[in-house]
Amino acid sequence: MEVKLEVVVGVIKSSITFIFLSIGLLAYAQNDSISVYKKKALESTEVDFLMGYYEQEGVHASVTGGIGNEDLHSTAPTVVIRIPLNDDDVLTVDAGLSAYTSASSSNGNPFNQTGASGSGDDYDVDNDKPMRKSGEGSPWVASSGASRKDVLTSISMSYVHASDDRNLYWSSNIAGSFEYDYQSFGFGGGFTQLWNEKNTEFSAKVLVYLDQWKPIIPTEFHEFEMYGNDFLIDDQSYFYEVSLSDSDGNAVADYLPSNFTSIDDVNRNSYSVSLEFSQILSKRLQFSFFVDYVLQRGWLANPLQRVYFEDRPNFYIGNFRSISNYESPSNTDVFHLADDIERLPRERAKFPFGVRVNYYLNEFMVLRSYFRKYSDNWGINSNTVHFEIPVKFNLKWKIKPSFRYYDQTAADYFAPYNKHFSTQKYYTSDYDLSAFSSLQLGGALVYTDVLSKYKLGKLSLKMISLRYQNYQRSDGLSAFSVSTGFSFVIE
Amino acid sequence: MIKELFTNLKILKLKKIRQILILLIVLVSSSSCVAVKEYNKVYLNDLDMELKTPLFERFETTFHIYREAAAGANGGKTGGGCGCN
Repeated sequence: MEVKLEVVVGVIKSSITFIFLSIGLLAYAQNDSISVYKKKALESTEVDFLMGYYEQEGVHASVTGGIGNEDLHSTAPTVVIRIPLNDDDVLTVDAGLSAYTSASSSNGNPFNQTGASGSGDDYDVDNDKPMRKSGEGSPWVASSGASRKDVLTSISMSYVHASDDRNLYWSSNIAGSFEYDYQSFGFGGGFTQLWNEKNTEFSAKVLVYLDQWKPIIPTEFHEFEMYGNDFLIDDQSYFYEVSLSDSDGNAVADYLPSNFTSIDDVNRNSYSVSLEFSQILSKRLQFSFFVDYVLQRGWLANPLQRVYFEDRPNFYIGNFRSISNYESPSNTDVFHLADDIERLPRERAKFPFGVRVNYYLNEFMVLRSYFRKYSDNWGINSNTVHFEIPVKFNLKWKIKPSFRYYDQTAADYFAPYNKHFSTQKYYTSDYDLSAFSSLQLGGALVYTDVLSKYKLGKLSLKMISLRYQNYQRSDGLSAFSVSTGFSFVIE
Repeated sequence: MIKELFTNLKILKLKKIRQILILLIVLVSSSSCVAVKEYNKVYLNDLDMELKTPLFERFETTFHIYREAAAGANGGKTGGGCGCN
């Protein structure tokens, strides 16, 4: 009996030992499996070099009140670096420049074909005295002062933290950008939650931009602001001893932009909430739904943009014989002095929502589509439709033809050149706020190197992209952009 | 601030917002219907199936923000940084 009992106790002891060992092994195996399957949020540092060139032509320059030369050229080099700080955290640095020359903005001072201040420093408003007294400006001729060009410098940094199961991502970011007459500082944060075996995703993001103007105003208002009602007779003013005429070419001396008041609030703040919902619908089909709410407050008009009133007499400077030809591009030597700068409400609420649907047609083709509706409290409603069909030739090469249609209604405050009334509270002749539709056709040629066999020092090439887009707007604006991008990984 | 935000939302047509909320509820409820396993996501993991706006399209997005009144709802920039518009 005692022997039997010892055997039973022995068996129980062995069983307990086995169970504990098993649990221990199981727990070890579980821990091991977690460490094995925890994929890094980003495997290695990635670097993208981008270069974009944009060119446009048009006949509705906003700086000269809705008519004039809109030629613009912009070159924008950018670098984006994504750095894995550890298994869970990724830091992204995005820095770029955008250098542009613009016929429209050059005509803040249209009278300086030989250099407004002698030094060409059009921005130094205190010294911004055109040397020539002939005043041979025209909205159709680009002026040569410094405001014809500027450089936008921008930098942003974002930090993303991924949870261990890779179902939750927290992010925060800061951004800054600087132009001569404008600067912006932004910050924000958000999260992304995945569930349903990573078939469903929800993101929320909040962003705040605190921007500030360093206002540059057109020459006639600058002189009026400096010398008051005597700005036509003060010997320090540009307009001293300069001949003005009315619409019939008769000499006059009673031009007074009395609607003009100085800009008292140089701030422009933007607050936005962005929500995104993504869902996989099948092995080949997925979509995203985006909705933003953006509230902008502060000086939302552009201080450099002129406005002309229909109910006020017209005053010209330059060759009076060209007045009858003023609205034609052949006018090169007469300029219409403005009645005021653009005035817009101090608040704007924007409400865009969009859907992106992607379908994997077959191993050669994917259909990418995007639709957006937009409305704001300035009376603008718009629709956007965008299709792109990437076509693969082989594992390395593909082309991506694309088509985009856009339309919008005009802002409540828009009217063309010389069609506003002085009794209005708000007015603009900026054709970006007019009613129009646009068509964009283009495509990209993409080279993908899956094995990264081409090296540049420590950089291994992953992808090259060359894009071209042609953009035609129904108001006559015509533009194209060419961009190229190189993606590398650092091994 | 919050009161003004809601006033603006009213201006932007409550009807439209209600439609979007209904759509969102339908979308969220649709998530329970489908669950494609990781090993079946070969097509969905294709680079061209990415639901975000590709980085290389950023120059086009930038000039759209300059030349058009509408912006946003594409997972990209919503404001700030340019005096152009």
